[in-house]
Amino acid sequence: MSVSRILGLQYEFRWSVLWESPYGEWLLQGIKNTVVLSLLAWLVALVLGIALGFLRTAPWRIPRALATGYVEFFRNTPLLVQLFFWYFAVPQVLPAGPWRDALNSLNLQTPILTVNYEFLAGLGGLGVYTSARVGETIRAGIQAIPRQQTEAALSSGLSLGQAYRYVLIPVGLRIVIPPMATEFLSIFKNSSLAVTIGFAEVTFQTQQVNSYTFKGLEAVTAATLIYLAISLTIAAFMNRLERRYAIPGLIARGATRE
Amino acid sequence: MRKPLSVALLLVAASVTPALAETVLEKIGRTGLLTAGTRTASIPFAFINEKNEWIGFSVDFLEAVRARLEKKLGKPIKLDKKEVTPATRIPLVANRTIDVECGSTTYTRGRDETVDFTINFFFTGSQLLVKRGSGIKSVADVAGKRVGATQGTTNEKALRVSQPRADVVTFQDHAAGFLALDQGKIVAYVTDGILLAGLAAKSKNPKDWEVVGDFFSKDPYSCIVPENDSKWRDFVNHTLMELIDNGKYFEMYDQWFGEKGVVPYPMSAQVRNYMIMQSMPE
Repeated sequence: MSVSRILGLQYEFRWSVLWESPYGEWLLQGIKNTVVLSLLAWLVALVLGIALGFLRTAPWRIPRALATGYVEFFRNTPLLVQLFFWYFAVPQVLPAGPWRDALNSLNLQTPILTVNYEFLAGLGGLGVYTSARVGETIRAGIQAIPRQQTEAALSSGLSLGQAYRYVLIPVGLRIVIPPMATEFLSIFKNSSLAVTIGFAEVTFQTQQVNSYTFKGLEAVTAATLIYLAISLTIAAFMNRLERRYAIPGLIARGATRE
Repeated sequence: MRKPLSVALLLVAASVTPALAETVLEKIGRTGLLTAGTRTASIPFAFINEKNEWIGFSVDFLEAVRARLEKKLGKPIKLDKKEVTPATRIPLVANRTIDVECGSTTYTRGRDETVDFTINFFFTGSQLLVKRGSGIKSVADVAGKRVGATQGTTNEKALRVSQPRADVVTFQDHAAGFLALDQGKIVAYVTDGILLAGLAAKSKNPKDWEVVGDFFSKDPYSCIVPENDSKWRDFVNHTLMELIDNGKYFEMYDQWFGEKGVVPYPMSAQVRNYMIMQSMPE
């Protein structure tokens, strides 16, 4: 153990707290929970986001207004506040009784993780918040498609739904892969806020390590490196996806290399 | 809100600290500012009341430290209160962002490795807050049940040790934990008995709640001060000793914990004797 001076501070580093039992297991648990929560929330965001992108560009006034309201509401309020809302307020909308109690005290052991209301609220909060942002990205992608292509699709006999299903959404999604990568990265980083509603993800576990060992700098360094590693892995994956699915001649400049 | 931020603060604070050698007393003398950390929902130690005033027993003690500083340094000193959470209080003192933390912090030997503690200003221990008539009488009854605690507290650790079979749900502050208990997300909330009594007393229907079980941890409260600055620790200690000797400590206690206090929690004869014993002769 050596005493180090960082910026005039005396501090004794003990990096072994990051792999000693039980702290190492805690961090691994946290990584697993972060990854599971983020991936499932991303699925929610993608499904809702595609629906929003469709409604925001479709020629129907009322659904479009509703989708716009949804986007503006969830995009313009802080995620932290939304998480508290999902955790503390949403179940109270149910009538008092066994259903509400069951939701509040949910405790279902699955092979992957414990499904409790902390997890569900995190999933709903993170998924819905991100869906508003994803929906806007997809709308931008659809609107970037030349009008003639929509007209061509419709005049070839496709219905509006078919035009979206076979032309606009697939092409739109391929155009917006780079900004979608940013959203995908954000969901992992934003998942750290689930610590505030008691979900045991990476930030939670590093705080546990700190509170048991008082080695805060080591714990926060671990959190930083874990998020960085997750993000870089995803960025690499999204880059491959981008190279593979970029539409030549559209945004492909520099992205496709033979 | 929590650690990542506090460590960022730590680095920033450390980089603007003029010299390592400066003691807290010298710094206060130079700046005229006592920067103190305390809590916002630890009733009645440090909390924000309906009138939006930041008050409490620990806040009164900080005020006494400020008044004694003015006398010693012969110049006006301002008390600057900063909010801390159980997760931030130790890093913020360790990196000297705050000069002292007085809230509802338990003195433990583990924490003493990183920061210093003053003599104790209060005694309590971990208990459970439950809905009246819940059938839960002690920590033995919560096996397999969802029980709440504040993350990073001695109570959370004591709960995990005393009842390894409980499903522990953590919260960032007592207000959130109490709300979860009220909504049935957890069957019991664990923290120091005095804080539970405070949560119940401040609730809409205090009669709906009861504090149950023997103490399953002992929690003597102290203020946190930076490591290796014994002059400053002495100063805070002597402030408390003076208050004990001149009886003001017991008046303050009565104001907050007496029968008409915010949280009735009468002082036992044992604790009274202990407090008097802690005060060294002049």
